[in-house]
Amino acid sequence: MREYLPFIVIGLATGSVYAIAAMGLTVTYTTSGVFNFAHGAVGMIATFVFYSLRVDAGLPTAPALAVAVLGVGPAVGIVIDRVLLRRLEGATAATYVVVSLGLLVALQGVAIWVYGPATRTMAPIFPHSTFRLPGVNVGWDQVILVAIAAVTGLGLAVFFRFSRLGIQTRAVVDDPGLTELEGLDSKRITTFSWMLGCAFAALAGVLLAPLLGVDAVLLTLLAIQVFGAAVIGRLTSLPLTYGGAMVIGLGQALATKFVTGHQSLAGLPTSLPFIILFAVLVFSPRGFFQEVVRAKGAGSRTGRRAIGRRFPWPVLLGLVAVALAVPARLNGSQLLTATSTLGFVLVFASLSLLIGLSRQVSLCHAVFVVFGATTLAHLRTMGVPYLPALLLAALIMVPVGAVVAIPAIRLSGLFLALATFGFGILAQNLLFLTKFAFGAGSVVRIPRSTVLGIDLAGDKSFYYFVLALVILGVVAVEAVRVTRLGRVLRALADSPTATESLGINPTAARVIVFCIGAFLAAVAGGLLGTLTQVVNTSTFDFFQSLVWVTVLVTTGAATLGGSVLASLLLVTAPTVFTSATFVQLQPVFFGVAAMLLAQSPNGLVGLVPRPDFTALADRSAWRTPSRRLAERSLPSELATPARVGA
Amino acid sequence: MIALDIAGLRSGYGRAEVLHGVDLRVPAGKAVALLGSNGAGKTTLLRTLAGLNPARAGTIRLHGAAIEHRPAHARARAGICLIPEGRGIFRRLTVRENLAMHGGKKNLDEVIDRAASLFPVLRERLNQQAGTLSGGQQQMLALARALVNDPTVVLADELSVGLAPVVVDEILEALNVLRAEGKSLLIVEQYVERAVAMADYVYILNKGTVVFVGEPRQCASGAVFEQYLGGAA
Repeated sequence: MREYLPFIVIGLATGSVYAIAAMGLTVTYTTSGVFNFAHGAVGMIATFVFYSLRVDAGLPTAPALAVAVLGVGPAVGIVIDRVLLRRLEGATAATYVVVSLGLLVALQGVAIWVYGPATRTMAPIFPHSTFRLPGVNVGWDQVILVAIAAVTGLGLAVFFRFSRLGIQTRAVVDDPGLTELEGLDSKRITTFSWMLGCAFAALAGVLLAPLLGVDAVLLTLLAIQVFGAAVIGRLTSLPLTYGGAMVIGLGQALATKFVTGHQSLAGLPTSLPFIILFAVLVFSPRGFFQEVVRAKGAGSRTGRRAIGRRFPWPVLLGLVAVALAVPARLNGSQLLTATSTLGFVLVFASLSLLIGLSRQVSLCHAVFVVFGATTLAHLRTMGVPYLPALLLAALIMVPVGAVVAIPAIRLSGLFLALATFGFGILAQNLLFLTKFAFGAGSVVRIPRSTVLGIDLAGDKSFYYFVLALVILGVVAVEAVRVTRLGRVLRALADSPTATESLGINPTAARVIVFCIGAFLAAVAGGLLGTLTQVVNTSTFDFFQSLVWVTVLVTTGAATLGGSVLASLLLVTAPTVFTSATFVQLQPVFFGVAAMLLAQSPNGLVGLVPRPDFTALADRSAWRTPSRRLAERSLPSELATPARVGA
Repeated sequence: MIALDIAGLRSGYGRAEVLHGVDLRVPAGKAVALLGSNGAGKTTLLRTLAGLNPARAGTIRLHGAAIEHRPAHARARAGICLIPEGRGIFRRLTVRENLAMHGGKKNLDEVIDRAASLFPVLRERLNQQAGTLSGGQQQMLALARALVNDPTVVLADELSVGLAPVVVDEILEALNVLRAEGKSLLIVEQYVERAVAMADYVYILNKGTVVFVGEPRQCASGAVFEQYLGGAA
């Protein structure tokens, strides 16, 4: 028992920092209905400012901390609320997920662009001396962290229970429209809660920085671990969120102690928050989570025209024609890029089934791609011929897709995104290093071979092989869109209740679309792996899943054209524009573009104008003309003042 | 004196226009009943007046001042008070917190006294969560809560829906008290006869336009109701 005490102390300290961040997240979610995936990134930006002020500019700690927490955090909160969210009022949960993902990708891109990817270290903020409790040494810095979390937590509780602004904030959570009728500016109150929540994110980031180092990726993802705590608190309860953060902090610390000496479990401590996140979401009873749904703005979905309901013969034939003509004009490395672009068209097409067609934001698409590649490698090692191995590897991914679909059956919008998010990180942390994926060497090789008498070793022949399979895959995706399954999914995205009342089983449709998506993504993964012939753990890491979603939303998730454009922008563009700035700013562009286009029906592709006759119809004559009552018939009190007594 | 003066008001949702130019006046201190069949645009009109739906054209004057471009909370402070359809309360807040929610700086005790003078039962429930009150008590709280800002014009949208008849009496009696205090009322009500009995003037809305304006005695024949309300009276 005694040897666990130091880990309990560490767990309480880190749990306290998680609690600060998680309470901030919960405050913004309950007041605005927007779950901020970029919560960690907000803390990260504030932490970088803190670093610049304290280390680069040499400011004393206290003012630097005040600027970061009370200045930068709230300022980012204002920008998020006023600039990003206000124009989206009444949007669907999926739209908000995409917007905050875009923000995450953009903020992280900006931080890496400005500060570079290297981790920076920082001197501790609090005194490092320790004192002795029975059986364990406790650092004063740890005591201070626990105290800060306790004080801020209590402060929030008192604020929401007793202060006027606190009660008003809870009223906005309950019913923003009614708050307006009461004479209160609900928008200002929402802005205030974003300032508050982001200040908490900033505080958590600044407190974590000396312990973990200042690192754009690490801080973004670490604060995301806070999602687990927030989910334990049902995203609504501050005390439960606080407790959840402590459970996760303690659990992680104790797991670190526990796995010492078990190599295969090394990923457990970092994965624990996601295991909890995934488990709570999947196993909690129905109705446990109530999504905070804001009343839809007037006409938020009207005027949307049918998209992607016809088989896109022109786009497909054009694509094939260009793809057939291209190899003759390309040199060696360009041909590889072209092949890779084709492969990614299939990745995006499979993703568009989920995001564009059924409006289910899946944030673990890279998992299917990675395991498609590694499973293919293992099957090849076992001696399975290439083509059967490729299809078999993809088939093996189908049940994985079904597993991911379990939360999709039970959860909607935000919670599905969270569950897939957890699953993606879980798979990366726990499974990548096992023999199912990359193994201890963290790399697999997929040599090219002969298929149906064609030698794929040559880049040109492999290009045509990929083209053939990608066309088959894309045709399958488009077939799903225009057939009954596509219609059912579209209907489910619009209104699950109405769809079910028609006698349609929503479960089957949702599971099938995930399975098809996983299958095609795995095929694409196998092809991309075979192209490079070597795949390692960082080729398709978890973050790629998030970037892909922002890219696809930017270009258009509803049609084939969007998938093609996505692939061109993500894969081809950096080989044409090779400047370092372009490459570094690429994620920033996609992040910002996704935020701007999240609510548009079909991204950039959808912006291409088509003839629209609805405006004409609006002018048609059936509309009732305004009819003014004859003033003479009015009771005198109601007549216009000039007429009274006339 | 006209408290609320609406001219040529157009409003709607998305591409669908619901109100096609409505003219309506509520004289100060008088009660106006707004009638019409389902889908006539009654609720849309009230929401547009309160600022929850944007007005596309036309003017809304409150005591002579144009308010059609002001946000909902500013209109509430200017003296318009909408008691919305359904229960206009904060369900997760206590009764006391519901009453403490207002834009001005009023003494909470005074507010509670005022609420209790209309509906004594509320005083006994101050610390209860509003969502756990009975339907009638919730509606009483909604009415009391709406009066906290001391409005001059009260828009009441179907206050009696889903309530027992005896509770309806109490609620509608409270509206009479408000009028006696000099407030102007615009009442949408499913009990057409009772609304007409309370009102000084009657407006009938049909397909987004005003089709009848008159005094209650003019409706006594029932012919008007036959035509626009399907004989609901």
